[in-house]
Amino acid sequence: MRDVYAIGVGMHRFGRFGDKDVIEIGREAVVDAIRDAGIAWQEVGAAYCGTVFAGPMAGNKVLARVGLTGLPIMNVEDACASGGAALRAAYQAIAGGFCDVALAFGLEKMPRGFIAGNQDDWFAGLGLAVNPQYFALKARWHMANFGTTDDQLVRVSVKNHKNGASNPYAMYQKVMTFEEIANSAMVNDPLRLLMLCAPNEGGAAVILSTREVAMRHTTKLIKLSAAILKSPLYGTAEVPHMSLSAKVEAPTVTMTASKEAYETAGIGPDDLDLVETQDTDSASEIIYTEELGLCERGEGGRLLDEGATEIGGRIPVNVSGGLLSKGEPLGASALGQVAEVIWQLRGEAGARQVPDARVGLTHVYGALGNCAIAILQR
Amino acid sequence: MSEPGKKQIQAREGLFDWSDEGPYLLGSRCQKCGEVVFPTNPFCPQCCEETTEVIKLSRQGILYSFTVQRYKPPPPYRGPEVFAPYGVGMVELPEGVRVTSVLEESNPDRLKVGMPMEVVVKVRYQNDEGNDVLGYGFKVVE
Repeated sequence: MRDVYAIGVGMHRFGRFGDKDVIEIGREAVVDAIRDAGIAWQEVGAAYCGTVFAGPMAGNKVLARVGLTGLPIMNVEDACASGGAALRAAYQAIAGGFCDVALAFGLEKMPRGFIAGNQDDWFAGLGLAVNPQYFALKARWHMANFGTTDDQLVRVSVKNHKNGASNPYAMYQKVMTFEEIANSAMVNDPLRLLMLCAPNEGGAAVILSTREVAMRHTTKLIKLSAAILKSPLYGTAEVPHMSLSAKVEAPTVTMTASKEAYETAGIGPDDLDLVETQDTDSASEIIYTEELGLCERGEGGRLLDEGATEIGGRIPVNVSGGLLSKGEPLGASALGQVAEVIWQLRGEAGARQVPDARVGLTHVYGALGNCAIAILQR
Repeated sequence: MSEPGKKQIQAREGLFDWSDEGPYLLGSRCQKCGEVVFPTNPFCPQCCEETTEVIKLSRQGILYSFTVQRYKPPPPYRGPEVFAPYGVGMVELPEGVRVTSVLEESNPDRLKVGMPMEVVVKVRYQNDEGNDVLGYGFKVVE
């Protein structure tokens, strides 16, 4: 296996862009990444495109506008983990020696409103397959068992909106007060509207290469030291579900994927300088900080209270503003996280820069428990 | 009550049995590992083999977690024309399975993790043929 480096990154802002064509959104992100890497498009040996709603052959449609070079193009759908799955495929292509430069990109233009469930029609017909329900059930369980509070749920959203206010790629770019969030409409108790991320539009692209190619193009080497994709074990509470075992308590997919990521990268959670995690809702961020090993089980609320997850804290979480501030264009979301970590490691993150960031982790979690985790190091 | 000539059907065949003193939810228990799943499935997701038998699940369990659905879900949701918020929860049954279900209580102040719950069967909507479609739910044990 060869080491893999991230040499270029591009993003189309996440948000709502009226009639703008999703293919054009993807093209702009890809062209930015190629320009950022300083390579010729002809050098890219394979491309992987993550999307859920952009339709068949979306990746081919984007790259037809960039140039027809005959490279293999694979279209990947893995719900919220689609971009992470594309990144892993590109990583494997370089690590396995199939090409020296690979492109992972994602694009999305989502329908408005809540995402319909992924379950059988009869189950959804009864009203049991709407996404925030499952986040809410996990949140309520966590509150009942570990004492996580409504105030903590509000403050996750306050923190992420504050971070996102200085991110030009975020949807909202707006500070939101405790009162605004705490008084927003209840959607699925205990989760209120401004504690939930918005499905939206956007694009992101990352160029990976061998060390040899990376050395030719940059002095700021950033290694992609793990790109993991996993599905859940039997006995874990993944969303959505008709029933769960009460007897088998398997580790969650975020636990198994992060364990594999840490082992692959040869580091532990204490070595991280920043984390971008799947804050589809405020409670999920608290739960994932535990599952990623940033603190003990049940201590996620306290980690937040201590200020550890703020910029300047022990382990800043969602410094980009997270999905709460950026919104979640499914196929682009994971690569947007990777873009943020690359900018942070290069020291290019402006007002939201984590001082001297050297190691970052990205985490997405998709329907039915697909989980993608990447670790980047300089 | 159903109109004459109209049938009552289950939202999915084999969800429950209300022929005698029921209703009971029907689950599948693996004859190898003992794991129980709902609804019935010939395939055991732990053993990855077709090793299950159909069993009646206990009528009472405890509330594992809950929420209230405050907005109308997108299609294929088939609830009433005028949306009314409803409870959603996971109820843990003695067989060692937690079932995701509609709750008959929609006031979160009257729901508490760990409280006893009992299964009910109710008409949830009319299908395109005009038949009553039955779904399961859990009510608070008084």
